Amino acid sequence: MWRHKRLPAMKRYIARRLMQGVVLLCLVAAIVFFLGRLTGNPVDLMLPEDATPEDRAALIRTLGLDGSILDQFLIFVGNAVQGDLGMSIRMKQPAVEAFFDRLPNTLVIIPWALLLAMALGIPLGVVAALHRGGLLDRAAGAVAVLGVAMPSFWLGVLLIFVFSVELGWLPSGRMGGPAHYVLPVVTLGMFLVAGFMRITRSAMLEVMESEFVKLARIKGLSEGVVIWKHCLRNALIPVLTLWGVFVGNLITGAIVTETVFAWPGIGRLTYEAVIYRDFPLLQAVIILKSILILVINLGVDILYAYVDPRIRLA
Amino acid sequence: MSQRMLARAMTLAAGLFVAVALPLGAQDQKGTLVFAVETLGAQTLDPILEGRPGNAVYQAVMYDSLVGFNVEKGGLGPGVAERWELAPDGMAWTFYLRPSQKFHNGDPLTAHDVKFSLERQMGPGSLAAAAATMRRTIKSIEVIDDLTVKVHTTSPQIGLPAGLSRAVAPEGAIMPKAYIEKVGEEEFRRKPVGSGPWKFVRNVPGDRIEFAAVSTPHWRGTPHFKELHILLVPEESTRVSMVRTGEAAIASIGPEAMLSASRAGLEVLSVPATMQAVFQFWGTYKPELKDSPIAKVRVRQALSLAIDRKQLIEHLMNGKARLPHPFAAFAYTDYYSADRWERWAAEAYRYDPVLAKKILAEEGYPNGFELKFANTALPGTQFMVDIGTAIADMWTKIGVKVTLKHYEWGSFAPLERGDQAPLIGWASMYRTAGRPDAQWRYNGAFSPDSTQRLLGDKDTCLETCQEFVKTYRALLDERDPNKRTVLTDRMVELVANSWTVVPLIEGMGYYAINTKKVGRFTAIAGRHELGDVFERIPRPEQVPWKK
Repeated sequence: MWRHKRLPAMKRYIARRLMQGVVLLCLVAAIVFFLGRLTGNPVDLMLPEDATPEDRAALIRTLGLDGSILDQFLIFVGNAVQGDLGMSIRMKQPAVEAFFDRLPNTLVIIPWALLLAMALGIPLGVVAALHRGGLLDRAAGAVAVLGVAMPSFWLGVLLIFVFSVELGWLPSGRMGGPAHYVLPVVTLGMFLVAGFMRITRSAMLEVMESEFVKLARIKGLSEGVVIWKHCLRNALIPVLTLWGVFVGNLITGAIVTETVFAWPGIGRLTYEAVIYRDFPLLQAVIILKSILILVINLGVDILYAYVDPRIRLA
Repeated sequence: MSQRMLARAMTLAAGLFVAVALPLGAQDQKGTLVFAVETLGAQTLDPILEGRPGNAVYQAVMYDSLVGFNVEKGGLGPGVAERWELAPDGMAWTFYLRPSQKFHNGDPLTAHDVKFSLERQMGPGSLAAAAATMRRTIKSIEVIDDLTVKVHTTSPQIGLPAGLSRAVAPEGAIMPKAYIEKVGEEEFRRKPVGSGPWKFVRNVPGDRIEFAAVSTPHWRGTPHFKELHILLVPEESTRVSMVRTGEAAIASIGPEAMLSASRAGLEVLSVPATMQAVFQFWGTYKPELKDSPIAKVRVRQALSLAIDRKQLIEHLMNGKARLPHPFAAFAYTDYYSADRWERWAAEAYRYDPVLAKKILAEEGYPNGFELKFANTALPGTQFMVDIGTAIADMWTKIGVKVTLKHYEWGSFAPLERGDQAPLIGWASMYRTAGRPDAQWRYNGAFSPDSTQRLLGDKDTCLETCQEFVKTYRALLDERDPNKRTVLTDRMVELVANSWTVVPLIEGMGYYAINTKKVGRFTAIAGRHELGDVFERIPRPEQVPWKK
């Protein structure tokens, strides 16, 4: 009976979120299309400075950039609804194919970065909450601030200098064996340590004030069991719901990390698409990344809605 | 003979057989040469889909060009064609190919491949920068015999060999006709075959391209390393770190990184005369600028005199640049009186702020004037922004009030086209790449029907502009080398004395090198990229290629 009532509400919720996602994707596509063209023209980067107007016009025609922007947009939309996001100007391959060629390279570092961020951020958040206002709380706060404030490119370069150049322990970058993963994963993960730490801390503080925690203590459970088993388990619910947002952050944050470490993932592909004014590739990468982030967020939200009825009924 | 002696004799014989049977190069090829570079362009091994920089970095490695380099002096030299000659009526060029050239799949390289390659560059699917020009200027290509090919042109094309030389453009790359026709274009792009000293092994998009050395002697030089890996590493500090750790032997760097690379114990290789940084004035001939200070030649000259080029070289280029020749001219420029112009430039491009102020006063601007200056840098020359900022500062010292606006190249480039309205009356930074045939660059900048048209346009072509057009046309038709030199000098003179485009420094290409990984070598003057140099780079224990 309970299940029978829940499903229609869930279906409505999912349908609503999917509709929102489609609208958002349309907006993203339009913005990327028009903003991209404001930044210049790939032909300017492909031709030498003494190219004749004749050669320029010919190349523009060959690349299909000779129509008005509106015409190009209509062609783009027409093709996009059929799943064709165009050919990369620079790479001369379907942009979708280029994206999926590189996606696995990014996906192999994101879980590790997420794991690292959680492994550092969650214990730090717990320690900070336990020592609220104390030295450890401030120290953990400082780590959190550092994680957010340190630009990834600076951290990456610093790590390369220390661990590759000075100590010679790790390679400077590029894909390779397990050792090649360490520095990119740390650089990417550090950005999220602060997020995990702060959410864990506030969630822990809230949970530690709960009646069931007081009851557990009255029952004589050890402090370790109360904190790490009862408090943390409940505090992790909001942490896990933000997981989707953090994965999104990692996907977008990978642009800098992958560029510094010469990692051929979708972050670097985005950078290359911008640098070369490769409009079809840029559009495809942004749209597909948006879909990826939407799907992850939708998945997390559905899970959350499933767990917490207040969400789907709101 | 004992069994032992027989065994020894057989071993010796086998060794001798291997030594004789293996080509000389293969015995001496060891290790992997790793080169880290900031961009691999389109990262395609199909020459019709790549521009000049990408071609020069990695396609040059495996493809030969119809016309090659003069590796000693810079500029044009023999390539796939040993020599070439112009028909008496000026309407055709005949190229004579080297005998016994082979592609990596064993096919002989013949005139049929040359014809096929040039036609492919001109074809509808080609993204070659000069495709349209080639279609207009090349009437037909005739195979005379296996080693002779004749290119008929629609009008006299004195510069055609330069346009088909890798010293200038990528369109001369020779591709294997039979192979492409057999496997198709898509398969050719996956498994490309060339005739250069390195053959293709693997292309990992966004990451690297790997090549293996050919084992037979090659006219460009037989590689000393067994493999060549070209890595794409966009971040400069990472490239330098990779050279320091030995993960790469050579990395391209900018002038900003030179000092830190030297301090870190790396050798810095400077390739001379790869570019000129210039500033230029837009639309000075336009009627609406009649009363503008920058419409006056002497004012433009005064702005040049206010620039301390030695300071730019010392502080922004770490001493690794030099005083320039006139616009787009270098010591290796063809048909050009380099010594004469070097002396001229030393005097004309001196720093003399007192004279600059005096000229401004004489021209009616004792308190200076307002100048709008667009600061920009072409891709790969980010240091030009610093140069632009520095010269703007130098101008303020003679009373010029500079409004400085920074443009990312992608936003600047569209401004120079169409009516150029946003740039008229402005000065801007610009650069010109090193290439031996100055006339094409001059045409692109100064002809009234060119994109930039800095001396005049179709509506307003004043005396200097008309004289330029006359000289340029005469130069295109002139076959006598001495007369060509006279005409080139005249063209250079017209532009130099117009002070419309003013060279600031002659820049170099820079590389950080780990000498434990490679031996000493020098690059080709004017050729920033190393695509035609890798085969000559020795291993650390070997004799330097050139001091």
